[in-house]
Amino acid sequence: MTPAAGGDRLDSWGEALSDRVSPIVVKELRQGLRSRTFAVFFGLMLVTCLLISLGFLAAAQPGEAKGPMAFSAYFAALALVQFFVIPYSAYRSMAREREEETWVLLTLTGLGARRILLGKLGSAVLQGALYSSGAAPFLLFSYYLNGVDLPTILVALVAAVAYQVFLVSVAISVATLAETKATRAVLHFALLGGLLVATTTGVGVSVSLAEEARSLWATGGFWLIVSASVFGFASTGVLLFQLAAARLSLSTEEYARGPRLAMAAQLAGLALFFVWAWADDEKIVTLLSGAVSCAYYVAMVGVLVTADRDGMALVHWQTGHRWAWHKPGALRGMLVGWAALVVTSGVFLALAVWKAEASKDRVLVFVAAPAYVLLYTSAAQVFARWVPHGPAQTATLVRLMLLGLVALGSSVPPLLGSIFSTSDDLVLNALNPVLGLKNLDRRDSVVLAVGLWAVALLFAGWALVVLLRRDTEPAE
Amino acid sequence: MSLLVVKNLSRRFGPLTAVDDVSFSLDAGTILGFIGPNGAGKSTTMRIIATLDVPSSGEVLLEGKSVVARPDQVRPLIGYMPDRYGTYDDMTVYEFLDFFARAYGLIGAERRERVDSVMEFTGVTGLKDKLTHALSKGMKQRVALGRTLLHDPKLLLLDEPADGLDPRARIELRELLRALAAQGKAVLISSHILTELAEIIDTCAIVEQGRLLVTGTINEVLARAAAGAPSVDVVVQLSGADEATRGRVERVLLEQPHVVAPTVMHDTLRFRLEVGQGEAPSPAWVDEACVRVLRALVLAEVPVKSFQTREHDLEDAFLSVTKGRVQ
Repeated sequence: MTPAAGGDRLDSWGEALSDRVSPIVVKELRQGLRSRTFAVFFGLMLVTCLLISLGFLAAAQPGEAKGPMAFSAYFAALALVQFFVIPYSAYRSMAREREEETWVLLTLTGLGARRILLGKLGSAVLQGALYSSGAAPFLLFSYYLNGVDLPTILVALVAAVAYQVFLVSVAISVATLAETKATRAVLHFALLGGLLVATTTGVGVSVSLAEEARSLWATGGFWLIVSASVFGFASTGVLLFQLAAARLSLSTEEYARGPRLAMAAQLAGLALFFVWAWADDEKIVTLLSGAVSCAYYVAMVGVLVTADRDGMALVHWQTGHRWAWHKPGALRGMLVGWAALVVTSGVFLALAVWKAEASKDRVLVFVAAPAYVLLYTSAAQVFARWVPHGPAQTATLVRLMLLGLVALGSSVPPLLGSIFSTSDDLVLNALNPVLGLKNLDRRDSVVLAVGLWAVALLFAGWALVVLLRRDTEPAE
Repeated sequence: MSLLVVKNLSRRFGPLTAVDDVSFSLDAGTILGFIGPNGAGKSTTMRIIATLDVPSSGEVLLEGKSVVARPDQVRPLIGYMPDRYGTYDDMTVYEFLDFFARAYGLIGAERRERVDSVMEFTGVTGLKDKLTHALSKGMKQRVALGRTLLHDPKLLLLDEPADGLDPRARIELRELLRALAAQGKAVLISSHILTELAEIIDTCAIVEQGRLLVTGTINEVLARAAAGAPSVDVVVQLSGADEATRGRVERVLLEQPHVVAPTVMHDTLRFRLEVGQGEAPSPAWVDEACVRVLRALVLAEVPVKSFQTREHDLEDAFLSVTKGRVQ
């Protein structure tokens, strides 16, 4: 085979490969690798790693373990690009699509928001892999300087990739939030600050890992913490990614399925974590923590996932499968969130009653936790509509209203209580999502629990009526 | 059956009705000019047809498929060019078109051939290795038009494509659109440049405040505008008119009934013939009035080189049916 023929074959193989890869990945890689940013930072990273190596070689003493320090230095050089430059570039790329209105053109090609964002995420990971491949020989060199072993280097690199995926998801998600120039500017600076903190944290964790790896690995809870962290980062990344894709989807698309599935998966993971921990320690307080954590998760994350623009789901109410769980719409979203709440609360209650033989006051806490969620999520939906706003602002307003109501509900009753009776007054704190639960745990008040559920159901009914109207009527 | 059917389309944004009960249709191989002032609802209508927005009420059918119920089936039939061209500055012309061809699902040799043929059609082959940010506005617009053609759509939606183009680029755009119509593509084009539109469109729809005021073939719309106009413009070319002649012209015209606002500038005399009381002049009345005025000018020994009534154009039609209202 002549060199020319070999080159042609390579070209056609590359062409065939590029046909199979997402066009967004091809475009982003083309743009990314050609950019000055890549040349500058790749060059800088290599030069920095080279200088670090020379420094350690010059200072090396026989028998001295300089590996952890060298590893941390190399990792810091890599972390700057992986945790800061690449996520920020992904943010800029996504923000430019919206500013230059090329996003609309992409959408019309039939690619869809999810595939476009996945392409951006994929190209960021590939760019990260290129940087990592540049830094890998230096990281391996730290092994020869003693004090750090190969599994630690491997775990750090894998964790770095997972962390980078998470940060890129955050960056892309942030880019989809801004609707006006002012919010874009605020979010831009917030992201820069956030990425700086994330980079510093990433480097800090890698330093600890390099220095303490051997002792950490021997600890019993190490792998549980690592697994939980990896699951937490990965599932949050997926959730943010799905939320971003939903936000960018056209109203005729079924944009709600992804975020709802991601929420369900994360909720299941959270519940399993507590069940796993309970299976280990067999303490009812672990089940209680699980029930309360899952309930509050549904409130805080559910409101992100299930809120919708007024009237945006109108098309989906006019077509078939009106009550399918995956169809868009705030009402359906709310019901999905509540269903998830009932299932997780039910599982924890069942385990507490049948396996852990929970006392009556503890059962009341299991029963009351979902009522608070029902109450506050419903009240946020109802009260948000009292504030004059455009249809597109509803989702944000509902989220802010929920946070505001929780803050008020947790802080005002104790304040009033400290003036009129005691800060943990049973009646005053009946609707307090923090002290109310604590009171139930201590005072065994069936009346309080029944009253709480009555108020919660009242608000829930009211919220359903409001949501049905907002979903099925054209936005005013 | 028409390729595109828009039925009672309305789009409301809170208290604002951007599109109000608009209905029209468009056949394959024809060019429809969508004319209206800023804020008339042209872009909103186009966005709904392009599946980027949903109507508050009404229906849009493309080849009989609803753009709301079947957006996935409708999108491949549409080539949409928004008023901002939307190019990637750091990509070459070829890379830009190649990327969108990939996005439309074209692969291998088919993709390369399609990109080449589109570049050839739009006349940008010579610029294939140039970065898009280095192109002139006219060339950028050609590249953007090329992008809309990559997947061989049946309907082209062009929102203000002639805006900001120099005269040469406009003429070239006109030729491209004519060629596309000849290929059987339906073109819906919105523009403010009415003189340019008149030469390329087959049918037109005039909108104001979201409402469709007039629709029909260009000749029908012009005839309707001419029929409804309360006056007729007359242009008379004089031969070597000096100060004395101009004074004589003014005196003669002042004596003539139905002559309004006569002006003489250099060798050109302009005036309007009006029946009065807002009544539209009939063709016979116009003929009679013209003969009377011409006879008076000749008798007064005014050197008349030519005498003609001015034809109504698209601008007249636009002005006669709209009231300059914006929202």
